[in-house]
Amino acid sequence: MNDPALRIIEIQLLPALAVAAVWIVVLLIFLLPKREAGERKGGGAGFHGHSHDDSVTGEPDWAVPQIDATAGLTSPFHQWDARVKIAALIGYAFCVAFLQQLVVAAVALAASVGAIYLSKLPWRRPLARLAAMAGFLGMFLVVMPFTVPVAPGDTLITLPPLTAISFKVSGFLLALLIVVKASAIAMIMEPLLATAPFTVTVQGLSRLGAPSMICQMLLLSHRYIFVFLHEIKRMARSMRVRGFRSRTNLATLEVYGNFLGMLFVRSFDRTQRVYDAMLCRGYNGAFPTFFEFNATRSDWAKGFFWVGFGIALIVFDHLL
Amino acid sequence: MHISDGVLPAAVSIGSFVASGALAAIGIKMTRPEDLPKVAVVTAAFFVAALVHVPLGPTSVHLLLPGLVGLLLGPAAFVSIGLGLTLQSLLFQFGGLTAIGANSLMMGLPALLAGLVFRLVRGKSLVSHVVAGALCGSLGTACAAILLAVLLATGGESFAGMAKLALAAHLPVFFIEGIISGFTVSFLYRVKPEMLGRQREHR
Repeated sequence: MNDPALRIIEIQLLPALAVAAVWIVVLLIFLLPKREAGERKGGGAGFHGHSHDDSVTGEPDWAVPQIDATAGLTSPFHQWDARVKIAALIGYAFCVAFLQQLVVAAVALAASVGAIYLSKLPWRRPLARLAAMAGFLGMFLVVMPFTVPVAPGDTLITLPPLTAISFKVSGFLLALLIVVKASAIAMIMEPLLATAPFTVTVQGLSRLGAPSMICQMLLLSHRYIFVFLHEIKRMARSMRVRGFRSRTNLATLEVYGNFLGMLFVRSFDRTQRVYDAMLCRGYNGAFPTFFEFNATRSDWAKGFFWVGFGIALIVFDHLL
Repeated sequence: MHISDGVLPAAVSIGSFVASGALAAIGIKMTRPEDLPKVAVVTAAFFVAALVHVPLGPTSVHLLLPGLVGLLLGPAAFVSIGLGLTLQSLLFQFGGLTAIGANSLMMGLPALLAGLVFRLVRGKSLVSHVVAGALCGSLGTACAAILLAVLLATGGESFAGMAKLALAAHLPVFFIEGIISGFTVSFLYRVKPEMLGRQREHR
């Protein structure tokens, strides 16, 4: 601990307060949307009018806002050819994921925020995405400052009676870098996915070389997810009506086990019927498409812009 | 727990995409077209069931279910889990876009293992099925937690503390998941044995 390269701050209030303030603000940014989403779940338009029953999932009501609800707007992202959009933005996301400098990652986050602004999408879903990551990223922010090994030139903040545990600024900055990168990529997902109908996005994926079976399964599973969400809400409601209250005991686990079994049985029977109906209507292993992709010069220009921006970020990252 | 973007080093992130792609390709080869609805349904049910929160004292944990998916689907389990995690990432941001490969490995490999173990130890009676189901449920979660810790630890010494914590946080889930999987297998054995690959007994 007496390494001269280390800066050990003992209960110096000012920097400690500054770091703690940033820390709390970041945590709040992540926790607030979650709370809001939780409060909102009572209202809004429900799936066939049932939206208030979340006692089993404890999640905000995801059943209503499908990914492509905003596909009908008009913006540079909506008018972008889906194939080029997917390839360019996924490439860009990978560039962002591997940044090492906090400043460069912050530029990427700003670009994502700008992209959402340009795409005219509502802010609720990007915030819900941040909330979904809050638990995982919050753990990094809380744990990493205390668990990283001490680096040369690091700043440690300790409370004198407890010198064994110190808040390492390098660990905090590393956690913050992860949070900023994850947020930047999470927010670019909305311009990527919410600006075209999901079928068009999947069709674009298939044109980019994804196996057709995977694409069909994505479409089928995507549809079934919302059917089953509706189903578990119904089952949860009928369980409550029959007096079930979930507690920490074996009986609760038995009920949950049967609940899952019932979910599998019901959904399997339903899928079998749907598949038979599909076969009756001439399903031959592929969904017909009713649109053609047509990439124009501006589509390519947007693609090159995002990929070039991603590469530029990587270059700056190494130069800094 | 799903790994988010920006955590894993580049080589690990891209390498796990390659490995997942290969495993998924093998899984697709081994899946008959008429089994596709079953894979789609288990995928969606896996997705939805992961939203179910089980109370644990003052807090609650959500189920991971790689074991159950593995014992229901066998070799196709990897495809199902990969798809489920892709959708979770695309729709709800549970797991990052650049970490889909790593997340699929983390949950898919234990599912394959659980499927194999289940076929080896399930026997013929209800009791042996329940025991095998509980074992696979715990095993799947335990392996997933270990893989998560290993993946996090690839980030270097700075991530070692996180890796240990992630492993410890999953300890209660091993037990809960094992017990629930046992009950689910017991339910399926009695109600719809063909889902477990058994012929229905005629009375």
